[in-house]
Amino acid sequence: MKLKPRTLAMILAGGRVDDLTVLTFHRPKSAVPFGGFTRVIDFPLSNLMNSGLDRVAILSQYRSYSLINHIGIGEAWDMIGRYRGISILPPYIGYGHSQWYRGSSDAVYQNLDFVEYINPEQLLILSGDHIYRMDYRELINYHREKDADLTMACIKVPRREAHRFGLADIDDEDGETGGRVVRYREKPDNPEYNWASLTVFCFKPEVLYQVLESNIKEDASYEFGRDIIPRMMNENRRVFGYKFRGYWGYTRTIEEYWQTNMDLLGPDPKIKFADWGVRTNLEHRGIRDCQPLKIGDNARISDSLIYNGCIIEGDVERSILFPGTRVEKGAKVKDSVLFFKNVVGKEAMLDKVISDVNTTFGRGVRINTEGKPGPKEASVIGWNNFIKANTIIGSGCTVYPSLPSEKIPKQVESGEVIR
Amino acid sequence: MSSREDTLVLLLAGGVGTRLNILVKTRAKPAVPFAGLYRIIDFSLSNVMNSGMKHVGVLTQYKPLSLMRHLATGEAWDFTGRSRGVKILPPSTGFRDSDWYKGTADAIRQNLNFVRAHPSKEILILSGDHIYQMDLDAMIEFHRQKNADITIGMMVVPESQIHQFGAGITNDEGRIVEWEEKPKVARTNLASMGIYVFNYEYLMQLLTEDKEIVDFGMHLVPKAISRDSVFAYPFEGYWRDVGTIQAYWEANMDLLKDDPEISPEAWGIRPNLESEQLLADRIPARLAAGSKVKRSMISAGCVIEGEVVNSVLSPGVIVGPGCSIRDSIILHDCIIEEGATVDLAIMDKRARIGKGAVIGSGDNKNIPNSKYPGHLYTGITLIGKEADIPPGTVIGRNCIINPWCKQNCFTDNAVQDGATI
Repeated sequence: MKLKPRTLAMILAGGRVDDLTVLTFHRPKSAVPFGGFTRVIDFPLSNLMNSGLDRVAILSQYRSYSLINHIGIGEAWDMIGRYRGISILPPYIGYGHSQWYRGSSDAVYQNLDFVEYINPEQLLILSGDHIYRMDYRELINYHREKDADLTMACIKVPRREAHRFGLADIDDEDGETGGRVVRYREKPDNPEYNWASLTVFCFKPEVLYQVLESNIKEDASYEFGRDIIPRMMNENRRVFGYKFRGYWGYTRTIEEYWQTNMDLLGPDPKIKFADWGVRTNLEHRGIRDCQPLKIGDNARISDSLIYNGCIIEGDVERSILFPGTRVEKGAKVKDSVLFFKNVVGKEAMLDKVISDVNTTFGRGVRINTEGKPGPKEASVIGWNNFIKANTIIGSGCTVYPSLPSEKIPKQVESGEVIR
Repeated sequence: MSSREDTLVLLLAGGVGTRLNILVKTRAKPAVPFAGLYRIIDFSLSNVMNSGMKHVGVLTQYKPLSLMRHLATGEAWDFTGRSRGVKILPPSTGFRDSDWYKGTADAIRQNLNFVRAHPSKEILILSGDHIYQMDLDAMIEFHRQKNADITIGMMVVPESQIHQFGAGITNDEGRIVEWEEKPKVARTNLASMGIYVFNYEYLMQLLTEDKEIVDFGMHLVPKAISRDSVFAYPFEGYWRDVGTIQAYWEANMDLLKDDPEISPEAWGIRPNLESEQLLADRIPARLAAGSKVKRSMISAGCVIEGEVVNSVLSPGVIVGPGCSIRDSIILHDCIIEEGATVDLAIMDKRARIGKGAVIGSGDNKNIPNSKYPGHLYTGITLIGKEADIPPGTVIGRNCIINPWCKQNCFTDNAVQDGATI
């Protein structure tokens, strides 16, 4: 009989990720919309739900409102019940204590009383920032089988990109499944091995408590990748790597974010979205009040994902449209990701544009449509903007959120940032 | 506890809706899906929600299971909370006077316990069968201003249709002075929409003192107009009783018009996304390269590779490459395999059309269904729930393929116009 949860999952959802520019001005990375109806954090949350893990805490610090609003009572992920629930843990002031989270491991450290109260057999620590599907039970089973102090999920990445990650050298103790981590380096300049950490950590709680204590006492930095794992390696703890071979979307740059969205499209998409069982909170932004997608007589749509509540009268190609977006007659939207309630006016043309919530493109606006064929940089438009008719915006541009429309010039050169 | 100032809502959802044929084989009429995401009853429930009423009893009788699942806790329509609630009221035995509901008034009479437990100023009685948007609060306001005993929602219909309705003749101030239930000869064009506001005490008294009253339109209203104050509340706008296959199809097609008169989203209509088809688990509609979709409504979870024109698709419908879908209503999770054609058809949930099959073939739209000539006579072919049409089968006009007809039900690869399988 298993009544009380044996695993507590904590999701690190506090980070902003500067490279996502205007998309994270008003929300943490984990609350960024993705794939036509979800938010990034829906992926780890749905993974947890589908893995039968339903005691969850979310560590949140940066602009939490959008995230808190999104999580609601956790019902969307079936996480309400006697021992089921999602707790949001923001930074707090207490007796003799008043501190922002100084890093990912400090966020956990500051909430150790919560962890001890739940008293789990293992503590699963996840990032809320990545697009992937994983059955965490396999990792937890491996962790228990090895009686590990820490088991971390890793994925093989190309050598040239490896310097961006925490890297593990995993021996072949258990072949395809995983093995002992024999060396670990956080974002090394010259990588010698290339199993990158996914920020999916399964800890033995007693060991983590000790390591966190000494980290707080002795170090000046409090990050799992930079401090906690190297410390455990030094202390010769039992650290294991679990080899993950599925799709993983890191989405830390605009280009990666765009590409991960595009990986939902095509005849044989890399992300088999319908099979992933991702759920979102349909109350958030009124998704559940939307009627089905409406397509007009002159619409031409190809290779796109479009959610309920959209109205399409123009052309849409290789794009992802969130609820409530309208594409008017003669407009063309290509290779773009348009968040909730965008309006693309008549004859407007968007090519590789990522546009945040509530932005209107006036008649004849052209964004990123000039230039040579071939790969180009996305232009990113912040939320609540009105782009006046016939404005021309180049490639790789950024428009800050909620600008008065006269602040956006009629012609914006490639690479310009309008603030 | 409800406040005396509140209005108690009783929603009659027991209708069989026989003329909807196989669409009501497994469900009551109010539970029939509509406009892709919705069920018919969502329109009444959402009107109640948007009018701010908090207590609803839903009277069921015929095949209530899918309706009960759909209503669940009522959370979708904001009926949960300390002072809110929606209750299913099925017929029950074991008490004196308890039996199957014999009529609208009888149904209310058998639930007087529920009504007594929710004392209120008025009782609003609605049907769960209609597609419309209405501010019911404004109607209550009208009722109070007129100091009426009964107020009946009424609308103007063509005289040729008045024989289907309760018909009222009003005087200058809107008071109903004459009433005919389903008149053969039209003397007025003012038709009852089946929406009644009663003063609470007044209805309680009428129902308890006169056991002969079984139906509102047949017994109660004719009796009341002679001695009490009965008013007509005029309604203007889109209102449809989608009780026939033809009306159901037309109302769905009305969604696709330019500047449509009917728009569930603009009307504030809410479906229950968490009920059985789990819209919550559906990803956005995928329109593949090579798909061609015009003038249609497509729900989340659909995958379209072929052509869809002038059609309404519920969640999870798969249209394979080279298919052609026209003028059709396709419910949840139907699969239309490569190269198949569906022309002027209504497909119930999870039906499958095999490769290259043709549904709605030929031009004999005027050969009615031989078994149900009154149901299918304009060319619409019905495909039942979970029916499985073998590849290459050619099905004519006005045909009925019953639910769960598997491939072995088809002895021939052609189904003639008007035939039933």
